[in-house]
Amino acid sequence: MLIRVGVLFGGKSVEHEVSIISAIQAINGFDKTKYEIIPLYMTKEGALYAGDSTGKIEEYRNIPGLLKKSHRVIFVNDNGKFLLMKYPAKGFGKRMYASVDIVFPIVHGTNVEDGALQGYLKTLSVPFVGCDVAASAAGMEKYTQKAILKYNDIPVLDCVRVFSAAYFKDMDTIINQIEGSISYPLIVKPSNLGSSIGIKKALNRDELKGAFEYTFQYANIALVERAVTNLKEINCAVLGDQDLAIASECEEPINTDDILSYNDKYISGGKNGSKGMSGAKRRLPADIAPETREEIRNLAIKTFQALGCNGVARIDFFIDLQSNKIFVNEINTIPGSLSFYLWEPIGISYTELLTRLINLTFKRERENAGISYCIDTNILANFTSTGAKGAKSLA
Amino acid sequence: MIVILNYLVILSFILCYAITALYDYHMFQLNSYSLWTQLKWLKANFSRGYIVRHILALPIIGIAFFDFYTAAILSSLLFLIQCFFNRPRKAKKPLVYTSRVKRMLVTNILILAIPVLLSFSLQAPYQIIILALGVLCTPLIVLLSNIINMPIEKGINRWYINDAKKILKSMDKLVVIGITGSYGKTSTKYFLNKILSSKYNVLMTPESYNTPMGVVKTIRTSLKSFHEIFICEMGAKYTGEIKEICDIVNPKYGIITSIGPQHLETFKSIENIIKTKFELADALPDDGVIFLNHESDYIRNAATNKKRVSYAISPRGCNYEAKNIHVSNNGSAFDVILSGGRECHFETKLIGVHNVENILGSIAAADYLGVDADTVAMSVRRLESVPHRLQLLNRGGMAIIDDAFNSNINGAKMAIDVLNTFEGFKILVTPGMVELGNLQDSCNREFGAKAAESCDYVILVGAKQTGSILEGLKSGNYPEEKVFIAGTIEEAFRKIESINSKGFQKVVLLENDLPDNY
Repeated sequence: MLIRVGVLFGGKSVEHEVSIISAIQAINGFDKTKYEIIPLYMTKEGALYAGDSTGKIEEYRNIPGLLKKSHRVIFVNDNGKFLLMKYPAKGFGKRMYASVDIVFPIVHGTNVEDGALQGYLKTLSVPFVGCDVAASAAGMEKYTQKAILKYNDIPVLDCVRVFSAAYFKDMDTIINQIEGSISYPLIVKPSNLGSSIGIKKALNRDELKGAFEYTFQYANIALVERAVTNLKEINCAVLGDQDLAIASECEEPINTDDILSYNDKYISGGKNGSKGMSGAKRRLPADIAPETREEIRNLAIKTFQALGCNGVARIDFFIDLQSNKIFVNEINTIPGSLSFYLWEPIGISYTELLTRLINLTFKRERENAGISYCIDTNILANFTSTGAKGAKSLA
Repeated sequence: MIVILNYLVILSFILCYAITALYDYHMFQLNSYSLWTQLKWLKANFSRGYIVRHILALPIIGIAFFDFYTAAILSSLLFLIQCFFNRPRKAKKPLVYTSRVKRMLVTNILILAIPVLLSFSLQAPYQIIILALGVLCTPLIVLLSNIINMPIEKGINRWYINDAKKILKSMDKLVVIGITGSYGKTSTKYFLNKILSSKYNVLMTPESYNTPMGVVKTIRTSLKSFHEIFICEMGAKYTGEIKEICDIVNPKYGIITSIGPQHLETFKSIENIIKTKFELADALPDDGVIFLNHESDYIRNAATNKKRVSYAISPRGCNYEAKNIHVSNNGSAFDVILSGGRECHFETKLIGVHNVENILGSIAAADYLGVDADTVAMSVRRLESVPHRLQLLNRGGMAIIDDAFNSNINGAKMAIDVLNTFEGFKILVTPGMVELGNLQDSCNREFGAKAAESCDYVILVGAKQTGSILEGLKSGNYPEEKVFIAGTIEEAFRKIESINSKGFQKVVLLENDLPDNY
């Protein structure tokens, strides 16, 4: 009997397509002697589809056609069995499409990576791979994330949080406040989006206003922080849980623009079509001193555990070359391509990575399964109701 | 008018019959659908279980010969009064409408339908007599419905068993651990599950599921492809029952937690109990291992041709021995030398030496299965007490040691020892032990004598089966004013409230709780 893994990808997110690439790479990587993979595609409207075609990348050139060939399904927890039921139920045919033992979300961005999907799966009580609800949310919401890291003495850049409603009500006051606390150049970015979308640099007041206009197209909460002009970006992934976590090799992404853009990350993948995050340009291993590498890898583990993560996450750092200080920029709780390319250099194959991720989930499930077994003889229920109170009312 | 009265008789009969039959099915269920247990139960509880519930149908046989109007009205009335007497009361474990019960109900209705329909062709008095006989015969018809359904039930069970075997066969890497014993098996199962779960994906039979069909149900509904270990509790009341479960699950490892005079009534002799428990060892493969609690002489002296790993809490030259045992009302601590010769210290918040024994059995198995010492020690520290098994609760300012699921004499005596580790006003609440065959009276007397030594107050629940405990108390010169005989557990709790403990904290030991058929 193989373990049935529902690989869930897509969803209502700007990184919808990237997630399809990440997921299908993973589907090809699983150890097929242990796992039976059920690819579950979530449309941008949040509908789940399964079928023979949902695991094939070429089918995604024509999504309406793919959906026609596939079954829309809904999750049902039937006494601890997780069933994918065809929806709407048609005629007298088989209502159940498949059942899964565990769900492996490979989704990126808001509405899916941010705890929303995790919360849905948790409500269903289906075991799922990766960070739990709170860690996923903290991983996406940068202000929360920075607050937690700062509390744990992990270096982050100071920031100011700006709500769009407040900004548009009285932008001058807000800009004055920002100018009073941080100096130009500044960076404005959405507080809750991954993948470098909606980020703008500002060298002066006018540009700052423009940056806010731009950022608020993508989000209602913006963060403003000092732009580090002379920097080196370093990424490092972590695999594990609170109990035990290990760090991967470090990479140095190569920017074609000032800020690693969505184009750099996912689209400029070369001639062979997009390869997701694994296709981005990078220097691997990063060109840094061994002691810096170790410091970053230790900080990565510290960050991972401070945020309560589980599974695999990629932590993006930068080194301020002027002060030679290392800062945590952000965490990706479901990194593009699951950051498999960072693990291969230290001897963990993609297949091995996926197996470890599934085992980490079962470990967490076991730890969460406290003893709450109730054998109801009801003696004590009687005691509290008729005993303590009843006796007094009789007296 | 005649038609209306006719209907009245029929309807009141149906109501009375249905209510009475449901009671019989309830008892039948509590007696594990066993014909002989049910008959024995009927014999032992003839007035409570039969006379009171059926007697009013008897005069109907005479009344039937009165003129039709009188006969119809009086017999309807008697049916309804009887029905009122038999109205469902609050039960600790009410009748569960399983598919099996539903199938028996259908058969029952069919059995009844024939004479009732035929009775319409008879004259009024005879019809009424047939109905009254129907009520008088409910217990028999209930048993008959089971006998008629037997082949169907067997077929259905066989199908379920084969399905479970098929599932197990598809999981060739699954390791099955069987746990049996006269007592301690459920606790050991919970502890082993918790310790092994630190390393493996484990499934155990839930609660006290320990019959073949309980095991089959667990496999069919809960066993998943990712499980690596299946811990299976095995219970028996007759010889051959452990083998029956082993034939389904094929255990590789076995644990025998204890052997004592439990279910002696059905086993007849202690030799049969030993033989039955060792069916687990016999069922293991050649490379299997049987873990044995050498604290029990019956187990220590028994032979087996399988690899044996022994454990004990006293020095008996075992593979695993708990040393430096320290128990208090805050928990227990002890040391064990694990494989590789490392001495490891264990601490648990669970109370009672009894629990140390059960934890030790789990430690032995987990150590053997490759869980490292530190992980085992950490898991032991995190163990929670199994509900109603020496479970310490704090309610309304008093400490309650809930040992309601215990029903064996050794456990009961140890529970008194646990009570003794507490300071305060010690109150024992117990309905006594049952199902101990001809040892029952002497066991209960011993228990009473032991209680006399240390309890400040004793509440006996139910006068009938607690007589021998009272004798035991008296033999220890226990003052009569410190004993209270309560009718129900609720009454016992009201009594506890009113006891004057002279400012001391009340510590209540709930020892055993009997099902509704006692």
